[in-house]
This record gives sequence, structure tokens and C-alpha cells, in this order.
Amino acid sequence: MNDNKKNSLIELFKNRELLFGFALLVIFFSVMSDSFFSTSNITNILLTTSIGGVLSLGLTLVMITGDFDLSFASAIGLINIFILVLLNQGFSLWLVFLFAIVAGIVWAGINGILVVKLGMHAFVATIATWTVCKGIIYWISGGATYYGDYPKSLSIIGRGTIGIIPISSIIFLIITIMIILLANYSKFGRRMYAVGNNSEAAEYVGINSKKTRMIAFLLEGSLIGFAAIILASKLCSGPASGGDGFQMNVIASAFLGATVFRPGLVNIGGSILGIFLLSVIENGLIMLNVHFYFKYIIQGLIIIAAVAFISLRSKKKNEGPPVI
Amino acid sequence: MKNEKTILTCTKFDKHFGATHAVNNVSFSLNRGDIFGLVGENGAGKSTLIKMIGGECIPDSGKMIYKNSEAKWKKSSDALNNKISIVHQEPLLISSLNGADNIFLNKEHTKGVIIDEEETLKKAKLLLQKYPIYPDLILDKNVDELMLDEKFIVEILKALSYEPDILILDEPTASLPKKSSERLLNLLEELSKKEKKTFIYISHKLEEAIKVCNKIMVLRNGENVGILEKEDIEENKLIKMMINQDYEHFYPKKSENIGNTILQVKNLNTEALKNINIEIKAGEIVGLYGLMGAGMNEIALSIFGINNDLKEGTISLHGKKMHKVEVSSMIKKGVFLIPPDKHKYGLFDTFTVAGNITIAHLYEIFPQFLISKSKENKIAEKQAAKFNIKYGNIGQLVEELSGGNQQKIILARWLFKECEVLILVDPTVGIDIGAKREIYNLLRDLTKKNKGILMVSSEINEIVGISDKIYTMRRGRITAELEKEQITQENILKNIL
Repeated sequence: MNDNKKNSLIELFKNRELLFGFALLVIFFSVMSDSFFSTSNITNILLTTSIGGVLSLGLTLVMITGDFDLSFASAIGLINIFILVLLNQGFSLWLVFLFAIVAGIVWAGINGILVVKLGMHAFVATIATWTVCKGIIYWISGGATYYGDYPKSLSIIGRGTIGIIPISSIIFLIITIMIILLANYSKFGRRMYAVGNNSEAAEYVGINSKKTRMIAFLLEGSLIGFAAIILASKLCSGPASGGDGFQMNVIASAFLGATVFRPGLVNIGGSILGIFLLSVIENGLIMLNVHFYFKYIIQGLIIIAAVAFISLRSKKKNEGPPVI
Repeated sequence: MKNEKTILTCTKFDKHFGATHAVNNVSFSLNRGDIFGLVGENGAGKSTLIKMIGGECIPDSGKMIYKNSEAKWKKSSDALNNKISIVHQEPLLISSLNGADNIFLNKEHTKGVIIDEEETLKKAKLLLQKYPIYPDLILDKNVDELMLDEKFIVEILKALSYEPDILILDEPTASLPKKSSERLLNLLEELSKKEKKTFIYISHKLEEAIKVCNKIMVLRNGENVGILEKEDIEENKLIKMMINQDYEHFYPKKSENIGNTILQVKNLNTEALKNINIEIKAGEIVGLYGLMGAGMNEIALSIFGINNDLKEGTISLHGKKMHKVEVSSMIKKGVFLIPPDKHKYGLFDTFTVAGNITIAHLYEIFPQFLISKSKENKIAEKQAAKFNIKYGNIGQLVEELSGGNQQKIILARWLFKECEVLILVDPTVGIDIGAKREIYNLLRDLTKKNKGILMVSSEINEIVGISDKIYTMRRGRITAELEKEQITQENILKNIL
């Protein structure tokens, strides 16, 4: 009886360590700082997380099929400026949003061609496109923040709330549900995991590995577009460094996510938890008036710890639960 | 005094891999100057045994006395440092380096910290002069530009460069042209006489083994079934020892009802294949046999649409020419392929048993957009039961299962749907006798339902035992079509060498 209880307690914690870590962190910051658990701060955390979260979903999709993308952070910055420039030209809001999503898809398509079609190493290819994109941003903006005319309604998505829930969080939630269904419960998602696990075996069961990887990139691109819309709506301006703040958090969230739910493997649920955890840490440190450079040190250490956990885990396989 | 003569004694060697008893209580001893033959069917335990001697694999139990003291290798370099080296069947070379650099890998000739290419090449050429198996070998050419047999020579020279006292050769003549094979065998005899070097020699070519070895050990299912001394060695005796006594009954009865042609390949030409014509009829198991690299796998993969270098030729199904030969369209038409090397081309090791069973026909099993996991588990359990797959839990990882069960999962995966033609490439490699029989019976059951089967196998016994018709191959060409009483090992060997 007692044993049973103990076992079920262990089962409850198993592979969910991160979830409990997250809860502890929230409690810790709430106790340490008066303003952490305030409505305005929670809204603030949710708002920041929705942009990083949408990017993290995209990166996770690409990583499920075994690829990687570093360039999303400058892509979102560029598309943000693109949105504001088009609005300044007088295009209608919805048309501009559509353009933003198309731009994201085109951008990811370029990465996809380099990585999937030309067979370049994903890390190298997207470091290169990231750099090119940064160059383009500085070229267009001259290093200054772009300001232009925009309709007042632009800011609703990024700044509006329903009660204390930001509208952007609702968008993030809807996208998350769609991606979870796609990745974890659809036939296409199953095929994505198959390609990521063993692309040759995937070919032998009739899955077109290259096409699947390409589609993962294109899906990521549309999510970059969505993230850029939320960012533009939040900032209503186009700083040259628009997407920089997201890069480390988003990458770290995917790795951190791979330590939870399906240990050793990148997974959607894990990435979402990861991005929330990182946002809470980032926000909490600000609330505690910790120097900003600690943020970078902690982000770096989290990536090291997560990757170490994953590689130790895969060394003594058979430990984790099955994936699919 | 006797110990002066004996170089290696292995006592009660034992090794399990999961459920497979790869080497079972094997003992033998070698004298200096022996050429010790090791024969047996694939999966008999030959490779595992030599790996244990060479330190590439640690025995579960057993004792090894080498040069009068007990040897416990933990890694291959332990054996290498004690002058035991192995030449593997497949060359393990660094393709971006040239032959000479490969030979002296890890014992480079250097000037300071820089590799002395000149000296390396000179030393490699000296080695080739000393062991002239293939005198024309170009040693300063990158290995990936060499032919398979040339690569193998590099591998042999690399092993010899350690000046081993025991040299282990795993099917050394399989990929060598005749002349080089002869030179190699002569060299072995010479070295064993003059320098008292000892050789362990694995070969499927019994003739060669009989000619060169002074002792031959026969392994069957991991057990030592006897060691023959030079004067007792006879081919018939060896064969009888190698295969089960009830060999005749091991394979299911051959087909009596062969119907119309299901799949026809006409004038197929690719990089590796020349003018291939093949017919697979309803109710028939067609075997493809040849030496490694003769093109059997290429035929199987070309029909399935994995090889895209199809230059010319047509593939027709039930008399209708296929316009698109690509995997997904072949699957739709009911042509399935059980790939070689299930780990590399078959299994998804992060998937469960259920996930591995449903993956090939996902769209038929789940017509709706989403996958219901409970439905999936139920369907997979039913399918696993049909194929007598043993597992703990349908949601467990597939890599926890034995090789035989993993192979049956791949069969179960495909046979969810009715096939027209099932192509199998070495489906019984590395699985135990029981699972082998089950697979043979399953194939026969399919032919009784008028399906056609194309089987590539590197085991001659298997191909003889199971096939209704055999195409033999040599260097990308079909050399003979054998049926019924024409199907004998002799006839096959005549046409592949």
C-alpha cells in the first residue's frame, strides 16, 4: 500500500522534473519579490513569452525532423521592419499580416533549400543566413530604429488584453494547440519524427524525407511570420536589434524541453515549458534587480546542463519512456 | 616443451547477445604455424569468436591462454599490442586518406609533429614488396578512389604492418580477384612455414579452406561441432557438419502451383546493373544469389524505387508498365520491400513497438487526420499476435526486443495490407534458427495466397532451400536461371564465380 503510493509518487515526478522546477521557481520569485506575482508583471511575462513561444514552436518543428535554425532571430527583426514599412506605405493591416507570413515562409524556404536541397550543415547554413539577414537590417535601417505611420489598431494584438490575459497569449495558445495536434497526433507529425529518427528507414517506408524536412522549415517560416506580427504590434517600431533578445531563450527552450516529457528528444510540450521557465527566470532576475549580465550566464549554463542531461540520458538508453 | 609450440588456447568461450547464444562453450587450441580454418553458416558464431580473440568483444565467460599466460583483452588495441590483428570482411579505412596513410594510421612516420608523407609512402611500398599480394597497388591514391578488392589489400597490409604473430582473416578472398586470392593463399602458406606465423581463416569457399588450412573447426549455432585435422578434411564431411542433419526438412515444401507473371523487369540497366530480365510469378519464391557486390541488392532496390539511377528498362506489374518507379507508388501498388540491415533501414528506435508496426501504412490505418493512440495500440497488438511477436508491452521501445522479433515487426509492418510482391533482402541475417523457420513458413503461406516473392540472400543454403527459381549473378549481370532440380549448390557456384 505504502509502496504503491511511493511508486505512484515517483511516476508522477518521472520525466516531469522540469515542471516541478518551474513551480519552485515561481514560488521562489514570488516570495523574494513583491512585484513578481502582480497582475501587471504576469501580463508582462505572458506577453514576452508569446513571441518567444511561437518562435520556439517553429524551431522545435525543424529540430524534430533533425535540422536546426539559428537565423530566426534576425528574420523576425527584418520582418518586423518590413511590416512597419508596408504599413507606412498605406497597405491595409490584414494584407500586411499576410505579407509577413509569406515573408517568413520565403525566409525559411531559403534555409530549407540550403539545408535540405543543397545538403549544407544546418548550423553553418543558418549562421550564414542569420548574418546576411542582420546585414540587410542594418542596410535598410542604417542602424536606427524605424518609425513610421501605422493604424492605431496595430497595437491591439501586442498590447491588448482580455481581462488580465494578453490577446497575444490567446493567439499563442491557439497556435500551440494546433502544433501539438500536428506534431504529436497527426500522421504528418509521426512522419516528421520518423525522418528525424532515421531518415533512411523513413525512405524505405515511402516517406519523402527531404520533402518532410522542407515542410518543417516552411511551417517554421509561417510561425516566424506570426511571431513578427506580434512583435510589430507590441513595439510599433522597427529597432535594428528587433529579434536579438529571443535567440538564446528560444534555442535554450528547445534543448531544455528535450529533458522533459520525452527525455532525450525535442518535443513540443517540453519547448513550451522551457520557454515559460526561461521567461520567468529572465523576468524574476529583473525583479530582484540582478545585474543584466547574469541573464546571459544563466542562459548559457542552462543550455550546457540541458544538453549534458540529454547526452547522459541517451548513453544509458532504455531509461526513458517511449516516444511514439 | 609443448608450450613452446602452442600459441593460443581458448577454453569454454561463451557469448550471448540478448536472447541469441552467439558462441556456446567453444574450446580449441592453436600451434605456431597453424592455418586454422573456421567454417560454418552465417550466424554460426564465427565473427563473434574472432572478435573475442581480437579484443573487439568481451566473452561472457571462458579463458584464453596466449603465449603461456592468461589474456584478457578489454579493447582491440590490447590484442593488437600483443600482435594479434584482424582483417575484417569490410574494409575499415578512412576514405579521405591514401593507402599508405591508412596502413600507418595511428603509427605515423613523422618529422616533428608533421607527418612525413615521403617516408610513409616508402615504408608502405617496402611492405608491399615484402608481401606481394597485389604488386600493382597504387599506395598514394585516396582510398575512396580504389576498387573494393584494392581496399581490401590495403586492409591486409595494414594488419600485416603490425607484424602480427596471429593474423585473423574474415573471408579474405570474397572480394578479391582470382589471381590476388591465389597470391594471398600462397603468402599465408609461406609465412606459416618460414616465419611460423599463425592464421585464423574464415571462408565460405570450402575448396580454398581445404587447400590452405591444416586444421578446420566447424561452428554451428555457436557451438563447436568438431575440429578436423588435415588428413581428415573432406568437403562432404564439412558440409554435413555445417548444416543440420534434418536440413531437408528445415525449409517448407516448395511451391506446386505457380501462376501467371506478376512482376516483370525488362532490360534494366543502371550504373551497377547490365541488362537485367526477371520474372516473378504468382505463388513463386524467386531467389537472387551472387557474390557480395554482384548486384542483387541493386535489383531489389531498383524495383522498389529506392535507386534513382535507373537508366533504362521497364518494370511491369500484371502486364501493365509502371510509369513511375518510386517508393510511394510501388507501395500503393502492393510491392513491399523488407530492407537489408534492419537497424539502418528498418527500425525507428525512438518509436514503440506499436509505432514501428503502423508506420508503413499510416494512411490506410488512420484515414482521419489524427492518430488515435488507443486504436493504434489495439491494431498493433492484433498484428503482432498474427506474427507471433514476443514483447512485454506494445508501448515499449522496439530496441528492447530480440533481433528475430524486430525482424518480424518489419514483416508485420508491411503485411498489414495485402501485397502483390514482397521483396526481401537478407531477411534472416542475425536472427536465431526458430525465427528463421517462422519467416520461411510465412513466405510459403504468402505464396499459397498467390503472392510473388523476390528474395536476396547471402546464405547459399537458404537460397537453395527456399527458392522455386534462382537467378544467379556475377558483376551486375544475370548468369543463369535455375529451376527445380537444377537448383543445387554446385550449379549456383558454377554460375557466380
